[in-house]
Formats: sequence, structure tokens, C-alpha cells
Amino acid sequence: MLVYPASFLNMDFVLLGITGKDFVIVAASKAIMRGPTIIKAEDDKTRALNNHTLMAFSGEAGDTVQFAEYIQANIQLYTMRNDTELSTPAVGNFIRGELARSLRSRSPYTVNLLLGGVDPATEKPHLYWIDYLASLAPVPYAAHGYAQYYCLSLLDKHHNPNIDLEEGMKLLGMCTDELKRRLPIDYKGVLVKVITKDGVREVDFDNDKVVRSA
Amino acid sequence: MDKLVAQYSRPQHQNESYSEQEQQDLTESLPPLSLKFSLPPVDNRASFLRAMTDDHSNPSCPIKLAHGTTTLAFRFQGGIIVCTDSRATAGNWIASQTVKKVIPVSRLSRGEDKPSNDPTPGLLGTMAGGAADCQYWLRYLSQQCTLHEIRHKRRITVAAASKILANLTYAYKGYGLSMGTMLCGVTPQEGPALYYIDSDGTRLPGNLFCVGSGQTFAYGVLDSNYRYDLSVEEALALGRRAILAAMHRDAYSGGFINLYHVKEEGWVHHGFDDMNPIFWKTKLEQGEFSNVTSEL
Amino acid sequence: MGSPFDINGGACVAMVGKDCVAIACDLRLGMQALTISNNFPKIFNYAPSTYLGLTGLATDVNTVSDLFRYKVNMYRLREERHIAPQTLANLVSSSLYEKRFGPFFVSPVIAGINQTTGKPFICGFDSIGCIDFAKDFIVSGTASEQLFGTCEGLWEPDLSPEDLFETISQALLAAVDRDALSGWGAHVYIIEKDKVTQRLLKGRED
Repeated sequence: MLVYPASFLNMDFVLLGITGKDFVIVAASKAIMRGPTIIKAEDDKTRALNNHTLMAFSGEAGDTVQFAEYIQANIQLYTMRNDTELSTPAVGNFIRGELARSLRSRSPYTVNLLLGGVDPATEKPHLYWIDYLASLAPVPYAAHGYAQYYCLSLLDKHHNPNIDLEEGMKLLGMCTDELKRRLPIDYKGVLVKVITKDGVREVDFDNDKVVRSA
Repeated sequence: MDKLVAQYSRPQHQNESYSEQEQQDLTESLPPLSLKFSLPPVDNRASFLRAMTDDHSNPSCPIKLAHGTTTLAFRFQGGIIVCTDSRATAGNWIASQTVKKVIPVSRLSRGEDKPSNDPTPGLLGTMAGGAADCQYWLRYLSQQCTLHEIRHKRRITVAAASKILANLTYAYKGYGLSMGTMLCGVTPQEGPALYYIDSDGTRLPGNLFCVGSGQTFAYGVLDSNYRYDLSVEEALALGRRAILAAMHRDAYSGGFINLYHVKEEGWVHHGFDDMNPIFWKTKLEQGEFSNVTSEL
Repeated sequence: MGSPFDINGGACVAMVGKDCVAIACDLRLGMQALTISNNFPKIFNYAPSTYLGLTGLATDVNTVSDLFRYKVNMYRLREERHIAPQTLANLVSSSLYEKRFGPFFVSPVIAGINQTTGKPFICGFDSIGCIDFAKDFIVSGTASEQLFGTCEGLWEPDLSPEDLFETISQALLAAVDRDALSGWGAHVYIIEKDKVTQRLLKGRED
């Protein structure tokens, strides 16, 4: 098996997840980069797995969408066969299992994931951080890529598990401001989706704000 | 019009610094470098030294240098805040938790922490990267600053001092020096001045810098709460909180929070405090760090 | 970058006392220098008085703990009894050796009390299943060198459950305070014949 450091991976993306009182916000950068070029600036790096579970992904080109849609199809198949939805923790462990199986195959998927979901009965939010080695950790807020290094400390300071959606979006704004200020790349803004007990919806987000450095 | 207003409405000293010509004049009076170090007897000394000491590209390199740090300094209305962690690591081994990474660069009370709270005149330097490199060259800089004071009968400016250090690191560029340092001071000529100097030979004046393996974590907290018109109390708290954030998230930063305030009369030490009680106080009283469990 | 064993970090230690055993682990999950989670326990329960601690690559900590949950559940259904720590030790050993040419990057530790004999039992393994039986203590993880030192210094025979808790806690906390990749809190289990006490230690958060 080949275990290589995360720094060898493509890090030119932003994935952010923030949980609150009864919701999960998932944000993913809209740019797809190949070498010196942004080949797409309106990309959606998320897939809805069932009514109240959303997965955001990034990593090796090709692997990401292939893996995400493989997972999406299998979760949908489960929902149809059993006429019931898997809970977010169950989906998380399924994804981890599949990624771990692929890790020891001839060509592993090199994909980093965030999985967000809300239990429709209890309204309890869930967020899982999964890396390309298939390590799974439940967390109150998470990030992948360089965003981890800037946003986790910021969220350590400003996050609180009882925030409402408005405060959550404000928190996301602080994160994207910091990334605009310090990241040397233009990730073309983020696409923001919110999961509540009523399902997954895309929300408007101001990506055009100009941020000045100190 | 807005630009014009901004230019004149900025706080005093915020953008002041020395012109390149003035900086040149200040450093020209220095003697040429005549420090003699023994070098390895091989053809390509620079790459040989790098291969021997760079444990990032070669984990089994024979000379392990102490690495990993978070240091920060920022200018604000009341002067400059300087704050650092105190951890030294060699690989994953924590070699020390009580390193003093703020080094006074001044003729008076060099190195020792004074018991009294009176401001001490002089500059402050921070150390990140190779501990020995930073300690040695800041000591050397201290010597040069003292000589400057004797020759010119006035204290050296931060611009000139930083130029001495940058010229030095540039002279040894490629020989494997590893340092990222910030020089801070308030002088009558410059007001509060802050410079970033590293072993590549970079020298930058600025308002806010974080250096070391935990820099990004410190930036995350600092940027989102920084204003030039922060009060002294707020600025001290922010510096401390930014280092705390980096200590928590960065495995190679930790230990004690070392906090300094540089003002017109000199620098004042605001404690060398264990981070752990501060962490739990911040968590339990402010409700921050919600990712850390405090019960089963 | 080096070994898969020190990508995520973590430490685990088991100790024997008088009619009791203790097992403790830290709570960090990291990615090299970056701490991802401060709530990643590495001790798993397989029977009322049988515990398994796993340090090493986090993905394999997950995989291996899941694998043994499956195997132990199957054992319990087939045998209609709980698995003894000695049996689990042999199961772990042979399961790890099955992956001799593509190992799981974990260093397991077992602690438990055999319900038939009432005797404490601890053991440790390398990543391919060599069992290391011990009468005193077993250490594993990125802080194992430090743990050897603290355990050699603090452990003594026939400690009572309370003293054993104190000893294992101090040994673990002191050790992880000198390791950059482990710490951030700890879990401690004190296992007696018909009682298990679990405690959370608030360690240094740096």
C-alpha cells in the first residue's frame, strides 16, 4: 500500500462544513483548476445522497465525481429497496467502508469528503470529516484543503453549537473573508448548501465582497 | 477622492517607514562581514548543508534542528504587540516547553527578564525556525546595534537594524540557515515599526505578521478581530488568543504564551503563562473551542 | 514523509493491578501537524471485561475495530458466551497475520479480566500479530518511548483500582506532554471483575 502525505494532494479547493442548532451548512469552492487554468468557475462539488444528507468532495480529478456518484447511487438504491432512509451516521460509516476498501485496492480513490446531515426526527445535525485514507471523525465544524489551516482556528473561536442559521452564515462569511485575504489562489467563490429537517437547499451567498488585508 | 481621504485620515505612523536611500545610508557605515565559520570540505557546500539539515525533505537527515513555532506581531494605535509560543520540537519529540522566543535586541538588559514593570528601551526580535540560528544572529545584531549607538550617539532605527539582519541572511543564503524573524520597536524617527526578515533574505515592513508552522491558525483569529484602533487591553488579549488558537491546532506549537507590548518608552513584558489554564478558562467562560469535549 | 504509524498520532497504555487492569488512550486525531478532532477514542469494548486499544493509522483503527466487532459478534452468537481476553488476543494475532504482506498499520493493546479464572490479562501486538505478553504494562503509539519511561518509573505491583487509576493517568499524561502528535485529553478504563469505571481526563490542549 502506498501512503503518501496529504501535501502531495491537490489542495486548490475549499470545503467547509458548519453545524448549528438544527442545520448544517456545507460550502464548496466553485473553481476547477488544471495546471495554470481554471477550466470551470461554476462547479458544484456536492451531491445529495438522500433527503437530508449531503456530501461535499474534492481530490484527484476523475476520482471525485466517480466516487461521489457511486456512493449516491448506492444510497439511493438502499432508500428505494427498503423504503426508508439511512441515517447520516449510517451513511458516514458506509462511505468510510467503501473508501477503506478502495484504499487497499490496485487504484484507490483519492477523495476528501465532508458529510453533513440532519436527523429529521430529532433535528440533530451531524457532520463527518473523512479524508482520502478513509479516516472518519464526527466534528462540529470541518474543512478540507488549505481552508483547514485558516478556518479551523477561526471557528474554534467563534463557533457555538447553539447558533441559528443567520449566525452560521455570518460565520461562513468570516471564513471566506479570511480565505480571500490569505489564500494565494482565486477559488471563484463558494457554493453554499444548507441541510435542515426539511431537506437540502442551495442558499444565496455574496461571493463578490472585497476584503482588505490588515 | 476616497483614496485621497483615506490617505489623510489614516492614523499617525500607520504607513511611515524609511526610504530605501535612507536605509542604505544607515547601513553603509557598517564594517564588511568578516565572520569566519568553518565550512564542510566538499564541492557544493550549500546543497550539502541543506541535505544534512533539512528534515522535511529527508526525515533521516543527520543534523536535526529544532523547528515548529508560532510567533506573531502586529502594529496598532498603542504600539506593537509581540506574542509567541514556547515549544521546541525535534521531529515529534517535544524537546522543550519553555523556550523564550522573544529576544530583546538592545544594549540594556539583554536577555534577562526584568522584575519591574518599567518599559525597557530597545528593540524586540522573535525567533522561528532554527533556534540556534535565531539566537546567534539576534545576539550578533544586538552587538551591532550597541556599536551603532556608540558610534552615532543615538539608538538605531528598526529599519536599519532589520537591514543589517537581512543583509546577513542574504549573505549566507543557500547555506541552510533557517530563520523567520520579526523585529519590532518604537523609535522617534519611525514611530512603531515592524519588519519581517527571513533566511531567504526577505525583508518586509508591515502591520501584521505571523511566522512559523502555526502561522495560519494565528492569522485566522488575528485577521478576523484586528483593527488598528484596538485598545491596549484588547490588543494584548487578541495576541494571546491568536497564539492560543495556534497552540491548540498546531502540534508543533504549545507550552507557554509569551506576551510583550512595545511602546514609545520601550517594551513591557506581559507574562509567560502556561496555555492550559488559559485554554480551559477561555473554553468554559467564553464557550469557545466547542470541538473539545469536557464530559464523557 | 515517514511512516504511516505517525500520520495521525495517538497513544495507548494498559496496566495490571491487584485483581484489576486499566487501559487508557489519548483523544487526538491529527493529519501530521494539524489537529482535526479532539474526540477520537482509541479503546473499544468487545465484552463486559474485555477491551482493545488501537493506535496507528486512523483509517486502520476504524477498520480493525469494525472488523473485530463483526468477528466478536459472530463468536458470541456461535458460542453463546462472551469472548475472553485470551481468546481475543489469539483472534487479533491470527487476524493481523492474515494481512502479513499488506498489514494494517496499527499497534493493538488488550486489557481485560478473564471471567472464568478472575485473573487480569494484558498484552500487546506488533502490526502483523506477534503477541507481547506482559505482567506489568503494555504501551503503544507515537508516545510509546515516553510511555516506557513513565511506566517504568511509576508502575509497581499489586496496585489497588484507585492507585492504578492514578498511576496510569499520570503515566499517560506525562508521556503525551512530551509527544507532539498525541494528547488533547484522554479516556481511562479501570476494569475490575464485575465493575468497569470509565473516566475522561482533561489533559493539556496543546
